[in-house]
Amino acid sequence: MAQNIAVKVDDLTVAYNYKPVLWDIDLEIPEGVLMAIVGPNGAGKSTLIKAILGILPPIAGSVTIYGKPYKKQRALVAYVPQKGSVDWDFPTTALDVVMMGTYGSLGWIKRPRQKEKKAALEALEKVGMLAFKNRQISQLSGGQQQRIFLARALVQNASIYFMDEPFQGVDATTEIAIINILKELRKAGKTVIVVHHDLQTVPEYFDWVTFLNVKKIATGPVKDIFNDDNLTKTYGINYKVSIQE
Amino acid sequence: MNSAQIEIQLIASLVAIACAIPGTFLVLRKMAMISDAISHAILPGLVIGFFITQDLNSPLLILLAALSGLITVVLVEQIQQTGLVKEDTAIGLVFPALFSIGVILIAKNANDVHLDVDAVLLGELAFAPFDRLIISGTDVGPKSLWVIGSILTVTLGLLFAFFKELKVSTFDAGLSASLGFSPVIIHYGLMSVASITTVGAFDAVGAILVVALMIAPAATAYLLTTDLKKMLLLAVFFGVLSAISGYWMAHILDASIAGSITTMLGFIFLMAYLFAPSKGVIAVIYREKQQRTEVSLITFLLHLKNHSEKSERHVNHLCEHINWQKVRAKTVLDLAQQNNMIIIDNNIVSLTDKGDAFTTQAIDYIITNEDAQIEDMKDDFFLFRG
Repeated sequence: MAQNIAVKVDDLTVAYNYKPVLWDIDLEIPEGVLMAIVGPNGAGKSTLIKAILGILPPIAGSVTIYGKPYKKQRALVAYVPQKGSVDWDFPTTALDVVMMGTYGSLGWIKRPRQKEKKAALEALEKVGMLAFKNRQISQLSGGQQQRIFLARALVQNASIYFMDEPFQGVDATTEIAIINILKELRKAGKTVIVVHHDLQTVPEYFDWVTFLNVKKIATGPVKDIFNDDNLTKTYGINYKVSIQE
Repeated sequence: MNSAQIEIQLIASLVAIACAIPGTFLVLRKMAMISDAISHAILPGLVIGFFITQDLNSPLLILLAALSGLITVVLVEQIQQTGLVKEDTAIGLVFPALFSIGVILIAKNANDVHLDVDAVLLGELAFAPFDRLIISGTDVGPKSLWVIGSILTVTLGLLFAFFKELKVSTFDAGLSASLGFSPVIIHYGLMSVASITTVGAFDAVGAILVVALMIAPAATAYLLTTDLKKMLLLAVFFGVLSAISGYWMAHILDASIAGSITTMLGFIFLMAYLFAPSKGVIAVIYREKQQRTEVSLITFLLHLKNHSEKSERHVNHLCEHINWQKVRAKTVLDLAQQNNMIIIDNNIVSLTDKGDAFTTQAIDYIITNEDAQIEDMKDDFFLFRG
């Protein structure tokens, strides 16, 4: 295959309190795909992302980003955690949250300056939230909060984007706005990896898919592997979705 | 004011500032109770350090005490990680155990050391000026002033250097980790500062007031601002305000300084709790009342929009139809009239053009739940503010 491998996962096993939640995962994510990770609750979807990003330590296996360990490639990667993982009553504004995306390139101690602020404002504009830049984050709707998180990832100007359920609790308009931005990212040659719940929209939104349920069930182009067979293997029941052509 | 009075107020103020800074982050991290645990659990370290050095302000004693504070944090986390008990239970298990070791150590040796349990719990600020720091024969001020001054200087230095790291790891530990700012390192850094500050402040104000000085000013500030920097500044301000007003309250009442400062902290929090402009109890009650009225208004306007027949729009019929009491009906009617949304002609109510447009817009919003459409309505109506 001519394509570069953006993310390579080898024999990855992750455990909580000695109970494996991910078992022996091998995964190669080619550069430039828009990939969904699907699987039932407790399948380890978020855990997989967190382990790739070094947030959770694996008990076995390794991860490389363009051939090197994540620690050396941080600048290439942006991460959008689940919206529910943070306290939205935190005393800060939309602009300030987006600015946090620039902290990685600044490194320890250095403060963000005009250049970082300008980048953050541009990212806010891209997600249609510029008018809300000084709004306290608890005053934003769920969809707006998700857009702020997306803007924070955009400001990192990364090559690979990891997103943990970006469509959770957002209205239809925001969902379309977000998926359009993700498709733009792919067009620009970026790799986007999304933990996704809504199986109906997989063929419409994504071109690559990974089925996960503690073990990897399948990974590949949506048109080849998004079928009832793999869905049944992943979800354990006879699963039928009508794939929209 | 004599110099001892000034010195006491200065010490109390520096302690208040030194406590407010880590306190703000503890409150935001929902870890207020860990400061209670630290303040009690440093006792064994303090006592052992005192046995070795015979000096409450010795750096070794401060280090040992801070170390036992950190051990508390580690033990709490270890017990919690087993998954057998929750965090609050783990805190409740660890610190009384450590504190009681300290109490026993004091009791066994109480006769020959100047350290008793009362002083540990309440401190004695009034005596602070008597313990002087003498450098080559010159009196340079009370020792505890130098101790807390040094701790505060280090705390401020760390805050300025690592403000961004503290902010991002407090708000979003996952992002912080992915960016390379280890939340674990920042967590233990903050816990170390909290432990050292507690030890430094402990001698002057005791274990109970240390907790109050860490938590109350930050909690008060949290109610008044939506900006982290302002929250820090306000917490510092309320800490110092309580320290100085508490000192004078004690002076007038001839009461314990520590007790008076704590009372002022509680009083200032109560004021903010009641009167804070947007988060205060009174503001919340007012806003809810407004919202009720506004929902009624929209219901009423919608009724007018849906009914063109006159019998449905007669002033007297409205009370019966919408099933409201007279007072409420009148409030809504007046509000609609003041805003030029209705006209009343011969007791028949009709929507104006403005009222009609507003109703359409409001209903659209309620159905589609799209925020962009009602940005300009938000200033007038509480209902649409988040």
